[in-house]
Amino acid sequence: MTRLILRSLAAGLCAAMALSLGLNAQEFKVGSKTVQIHGFGTQGFVHTNDNNWLTMRTSNIGSGAFTDAGVNLTMQIRPNLRIGGQVYDRKLGKLGDWHPQLDWATGDYRVKPWLGFRGGKVKTVLGLYNDSQDVDSAHTFALLPQSVYSIDMRDATLSHIGGDIYGTIKAKKYGKFSYTGYVGDQIQSTHGGYPYLLTIHGIYINKTGGLTYGGDVRWQTPVKGLLTGVSYEENQVRNTGLLNPSVALGGPNILTPYWEQSRSQFTKTIYGTYSYKNLRVDSEYKYFWRDFSIFDGQFLALIGTHAWYESAAYRVNKWFEFGGYYSHFDEDWIITVPGQVEAPSESDPSRHIYDKVVTARFDMYTHWYLKVEGHFMDGNAAGTNPQYPEGFYTQDNPQGLKPNTNALVVRAGFSF
Amino acid sequence: MKNLRYAILLLAAASIFAVHAQAQVIVIANPSVKATEISKSDLRDIFTGNATSLPGGGSVVPILLKAGTVHEEFLQAYIGKNDTAYRAGWRSLVFSGQASMPKSLDSDAAVVEFVAHNPGAIGYIGKATPHDGVKVLTVK
Repeated sequence: MTRLILRSLAAGLCAAMALSLGLNAQEFKVGSKTVQIHGFGTQGFVHTNDNNWLTMRTSNIGSGAFTDAGVNLTMQIRPNLRIGGQVYDRKLGKLGDWHPQLDWATGDYRVKPWLGFRGGKVKTVLGLYNDSQDVDSAHTFALLPQSVYSIDMRDATLSHIGGDIYGTIKAKKYGKFSYTGYVGDQIQSTHGGYPYLLTIHGIYINKTGGLTYGGDVRWQTPVKGLLTGVSYEENQVRNTGLLNPSVALGGPNILTPYWEQSRSQFTKTIYGTYSYKNLRVDSEYKYFWRDFSIFDGQFLALIGTHAWYESAAYRVNKWFEFGGYYSHFDEDWIITVPGQVEAPSESDPSRHIYDKVVTARFDMYTHWYLKVEGHFMDGNAAGTNPQYPEGFYTQDNPQGLKPNTNALVVRAGFSF
Repeated sequence: MKNLRYAILLLAAASIFAVHAQAQVIVIANPSVKATEISKSDLRDIFTGNATSLPGGGSVVPILLKAGTVHEEFLQAYIGKNDTAYRAGWRSLVFSGQASMPKSLDSDAAVVEFVAHNPGAIGYIGKATPHDGVKVLTVK
């Protein structure tokens, strides 16, 4: 309780500080160089008619346990050399739980337009919005299409500690190509959706992550406003923690070491975006594959997920924008752990989520905005044997999950 | 009475013309920038954070106007976005660690002053604004 009060006080202090600074970006000098300070924060409220969603108790009157904030400092040492870092914290139901993390901390040196380097803790370029998914103020939707950018799995592919090589190559009348290649260590949060999912099996992860490498190529086509691209990422993830065999395996009520290791894990995306005047249309497909062993091959599990969405948004004027999307998610799995059952057909609600969404965004002032969004979901992708988290968790729905869920999401935010 | 009506109409037409004329935009740069002209594509890249240099012209730093007709016209003519969408693009870059936010200044005169005294700076102002100490880049 004391911790909660202290955190509330800290959050209040940050908000008061932001207001007292007039929500303008701040800067100060270090020698002859300017250091910029920017920040953002959002507060959301979610109500659902059935099923608790995103680890919140949303199905009663709703939940406001949906807050995040970030502050960064950047220094432009030379026009082509920059350093900076950002701290990020969030509370999303039982996820995040106010454990601040170093979101990114990078040095970025652009040698030529076609050759640049980034190093440190770097946001991972994967698909259209992986690296900017936290930047709510930049997006029309209160929740990005959850099939591809599930907010509970936010940090699964968000960043890596390592290095990037990137650049843009002009191809005359054929437009231009931008590329990014990276390698590093993908350190994931133990307060994310996957560790939380495993608690229902009596597994408590205390370390997660591993080697990651991948790349992205995007083509700014000669058609004005049309961009298309592909991304690929490979991971070697090892999760370690403790297992209580009495919870799901019928064993003794003790805690023993637990570990799982990916034998093959990758993500592929293909995407396109088109903007014309105030209209923007996005489309993206993501395939995730994970083949992993538990206890060095004693048990095996294979999970494949297909996710795609189509979205459109139109800005009517400087204070109003509206949009909508259709988001499709389905998963398949095979697991050899005793007591686990095979995946049912895709038409079963535990194998898919088909989400239809409409959103209105209001930009009241330069730095403040409000979004109101309706979700109409078919399926929950979380039956009695969940293998991959996607918003709905059986531990939050002990009464059993219903096949359909409607949700109202209201999210207000600021940035400076 | 009829003359007064004509006078009001003429005044209104003149003020609309004046606003339009004032809103014509020119692109200016610090004299250290080697280029004398810039393509629309390069201009868009620099002002959207996708490039930090000009072909053959060295590194450049974009300078923005905070608001106003000149700013809106510049965005419409060269970036193809309104102010809200434009700043959202910069926020994406800044909060994901891919760029620093460009300096935004209150007036054309402030832009001229800053560009004149900072090597590599590139900005835009209304055509009618005095711009001693900077060079004008022709947009191709």
